[in-house]
Amino acid sequence: MTRLTVNGSAVEIDAPPETPLLIALREHLGLTGSKYGCGAAMCGSCTVHLDGAATYACVTPIGDVEGADVRTIEGLSENGDHPVQLAWIAEQVPQCGYCQSGQIMRAAALLEENPRPSREEIIDAMSSNLCRCGTYVRIVKAVERAASEA
Amino acid sequence: MSNSAQLSVSRRAFLASAGATAGFAFAIGVDGLQRVANAGTAASSAKPNIWVSIAASGKIRIIYPATDLGQGSTTALPLMLAEELDANWSDVEVEQLNVDDRRYGNPKFGMVRYTAGSSAVQGYYMPLRLAGAQARSMLISAAAAHWAVPEDRLRTEPSAVVDHETGERLSYGEIAALPELATTRVPDASEALLKPTSDFRLIGADVARIDIPAKSRGAYQYGVDVRVPEMLYATVVRAPVEDETPISVDETGALAIPGVLRTVTLPDGVAVIAETQEAALFGKFALSIEWSETSSSRGNNSDQDLIDYAATAEDLSQDGAVWRETGDAGAAVGGADRQVERTYLSDYAYHAQFEPMGAVASVENDGASAEVWIASQTQSWSLRTVTETLGIDAEQVTLHMMPMGGSFGRRTELTQPYLRDALLTSKAVGRPVKVLWTREDDVKFGAYRPAAAQRMIAGLKAEGGLQGWRHRVAAPSVIAYFNPLRWAQVEPQDIITMRGAENKFYDLGDMRAEHLITDRRARLAPWRGIGAAYTSFAAEAFMDELAEEAGADPVEFRLALLKDNPRGRWLVERVLEMSDWKRARDGTALGLAFAGYGDSMAAGVAEISLDRESGVIAVKNFWTTVDAGVIVSPDNSLAQIEGGVVHGVGSALKERITIVDGEVQQNNFYDYEILRIDETPEIAVDIAQVDAPPTSIGEVSTPVVAPAIANAFFALTGRRLRHMPFTPERVLAALA
Repeated sequence: MTRLTVNGSAVEIDAPPETPLLIALREHLGLTGSKYGCGAAMCGSCTVHLDGAATYACVTPIGDVEGADVRTIEGLSENGDHPVQLAWIAEQVPQCGYCQSGQIMRAAALLEENPRPSREEIIDAMSSNLCRCGTYVRIVKAVERAASEA
Repeated sequence: MSNSAQLSVSRRAFLASAGATAGFAFAIGVDGLQRVANAGTAASSAKPNIWVSIAASGKIRIIYPATDLGQGSTTALPLMLAEELDANWSDVEVEQLNVDDRRYGNPKFGMVRYTAGSSAVQGYYMPLRLAGAQARSMLISAAAAHWAVPEDRLRTEPSAVVDHETGERLSYGEIAALPELATTRVPDASEALLKPTSDFRLIGADVARIDIPAKSRGAYQYGVDVRVPEMLYATVVRAPVEDETPISVDETGALAIPGVLRTVTLPDGVAVIAETQEAALFGKFALSIEWSETSSSRGNNSDQDLIDYAATAEDLSQDGAVWRETGDAGAAVGGADRQVERTYLSDYAYHAQFEPMGAVASVENDGASAEVWIASQTQSWSLRTVTETLGIDAEQVTLHMMPMGGSFGRRTELTQPYLRDALLTSKAVGRPVKVLWTREDDVKFGAYRPAAAQRMIAGLKAEGGLQGWRHRVAAPSVIAYFNPLRWAQVEPQDIITMRGAENKFYDLGDMRAEHLITDRRARLAPWRGIGAAYTSFAAEAFMDELAEEAGADPVEFRLALLKDNPRGRWLVERVLEMSDWKRARDGTALGLAFAGYGDSMAAGVAEISLDRESGVIAVKNFWTTVDAGVIVSPDNSLAQIEGGVVHGVGSALKERITIVDGEVQQNNFYDYEILRIDETPEIAVDIAQVDAPPTSIGEVSTPVVAPAIANAFFALTGRRLRHMPFTPERVLAALA
C-alpha cells in the first residue's frame, strides 16, 4: 500500500511499488487526464507535478514517491480556470488534445518557477514535451499569454 | 472539490460510475462541456431530417457523422448546418454518430462512414447546409400555420422565426412544441433554400472549437480512457515478424505475477489478461514465447527494398499503371532538345499518433453480441471488424466511437487488429477487456507510409522550356494491403500511394504519371499527405533541378507553367512576398515549392541554415500560402496548416523506419524522433480568399515542406538532397 497526496487528498494505492505513478493515477484513481504516450520519459503526455516539480509520471514508480504531493491536470484549478488553461483556450492550442494535459502541467510548473520567462526559456522548458499534431507555435504563444496575464 | 469526492470512494464504486458514463454516446455542448447524450428523450421535438432535432427547451442537437482525431470538424460540420438553420450557436449540442448508417456517409467516400483524406468539410458542405436549410424552412412553415400568415413574410433570426409586420416572434424551441408541427410538411431539401454566401455569419467566422475547453482541463475522454464495470486489462506480445505465429508459450513467469489471470493465444501474438493494468504490463514482459521462423517477410530489408524499387523505376522497359496521362509524354521527351532524369528516394515513415492503439470490448452470450468502445477513423470498418471477428450480425453490436488522440491515417484499416485483440480476449474470459498496446508495440507493429523510389524524366527545349514530363513511382500499393475490398473496386488506381503525382495545377503539356506496383515489404497505411508526402518532394525538387538545367530562375520556370492558373500564381507570388524572397541572407538560404493536395493548392518557402560539421539542417522560417476554397473555420484552418508544416519538417529531416530481416529496428520516440518545439520554425500562413466550394485543409501544407527544404539546401550549398529524410549522414554525404 502506497500513501500519496493527490490533488490535496490523502490516498492509498493498492498496487506493487514498481507500478508507474501514471497507471496508479489513471487506472486506480480514475484521473485519466494524464496520458500514456511512450512510457519512456520521451513525450511528456504524462507530466504531473511531484512536490511541485514537473515530472514524467510514466517512469516514476509509486514505491519511490511514498508520501509525495502529486498534482494532476484535474487538480490544477477548481474550474479549469488556471491562467495557463485559459491561455490554452484563448490561443486555441489543442488539436487532438492528447498531449495537452502534460503540456499545460509543464507550462504551469515553468511559470511557478519563473513567472516572466523569455521566449528562449519557454522553448527550453517546453522541449521536454512532444506534440504530434504540431501545436508548438500556439504553445509558445499561450505560455507568453499566460505569463503576461497571470 | 469533485476530485476529493471521487478519491474517497472505493475503486469498484468509481469504476461503476465511470462505466455509467461510458455506457452512453458522448455529446459536446458548444460551451465545451462533454456530457452524456440522451437523444430522443425530449417530450416534444422537431425532427425535420436525420441530421437535426430541435427540442422544446430550445436545444438543437446535430449529428456529428465523422470521428474526432483532432482536426476540428466536431465544430466545423455542425456549424455548416447551424448556419443554414440560422441557429443560435450557443443552442447547439453535437452528438457523435455511433452507427454505420450509410445515410450519413461522406459522399466523397461512396457513403462509407470514413473520416480521412481531409474530406469532411468538403464532402459534407452541401448535405449539411441542405439539411439546415430544410429544417429552417420547416420551422417557418409551422410558424406560418400557427399565425395563419403567408410564409413569405416571415424571416429568421438566430433560433427564432419573426413576423416583422406584427412584431411577433417564436423561438425555435416554442415552434418545436406547436401542435401545428405535426401536420407541417417537410420541404424538399433544395439549393433554392440556401442562404447567399454573403449572408453567412458562422461559416468563415472565428467560432471557438467546442472540444478545446475539455481538452484544456484533462476532461476529454479518449478511447484509452474508457473504463467499464468488471473490466479486465490485456497486453499483447506480437510476433516479431509479420506472418509468424506462436509455436509454444511458457506462461509460468507471467502467471506468477499477482493479478495475472491467464494468457490467450491470438493468430499473431499472445495476450496476457490481468485484473490490473500494471499486472498485464508486467505479465507481458514475463512471457516466454517461441515463434515460427517460416515467414517470407524475414527477407524484408528496407535498404535493399529501396535499391530494388529504384531499379524498377529506372527500367523504362517496365510500364506502370497510368495514374494520369495527357498527350504522349514519351514522344515529347524523346523529341526534346535535351533530356533530364533524376531518381528520388523516400523511406518508410511511422504515424506516431500519441494515443496508443487499444480498444475496450465486452463480448456477451459466448460471442453472440458485443459492445465496443473504439477510437478509429471509421464506424464502417470498426463495425465490420467486430462482425467478421465474432461472426455475428451488425444488429448484435453496440458501437461507441471515441475521440482519438491523433491518428494521421493510422486507424483506417479494413480489419483493425487492436479491436480484434479486445474482442478475442473478452470472448475468452467472458468479461469486458481493455487492450492497450505499448508505444513499442505500435512502432514495431505499425503500418507505415510506404518506401518509394521515383524516376523523374523531362525534356527541355533548346530555349529552355519544358517539353514532356514523366513521373514513375515505384512503390507498393497501400490500398491493396490496408483495404483489400477497396482494392478490388479500384485496382490498379491507388490514390493513397500515388496522390500528388497527377500534378494537375501546372500546365505540364504532355505528361504521364504511372505507378510501378512493387512487392509489399512492410505493413502499410495512409499517412498525413498520403502519396503527396513523397511524390511532391520528387516533383518539386526535380522542378528546381530542371530550372537549373534550363538556365532558368526556379520561380520564373514555375510561373510559366502556372500561366493559366491565376489562383496558383497568386499563391506563389504571395509566398515570395511574405518571405522577402529577393533579400540577400547571411548564412541561410530560401527554397520554394508549389503542390496540390486533392483540389487544394499550397506554396511554401523554407529558410534553412546548416551546421556543416554535424550535417544538421535547421529550418528557421517557413512561409506558406493555401487555396482551399471557402474557409469554414479560419482559425482552425491556420492551426491545421501550422501542424501540417511541423509534420512536414519532421518527415523531411528525421522520420525514418528501417527494417532488417523483417524486423522493424525502431522502438519508441528515442529512436523514432519527431520534431520538437526547439526545432520548429517560425511559421507564417496566408489563406487565399476565394469564392469556391471548400476543399481540403488538414494535409495541404505537408507536401510542400520537404521539397522547399531540399531546394533551399541547393541554394545554400549547390548540392542536391534526393533521399528523404535528410538525415545528417545524408547531408554530409551530399556535401562531400
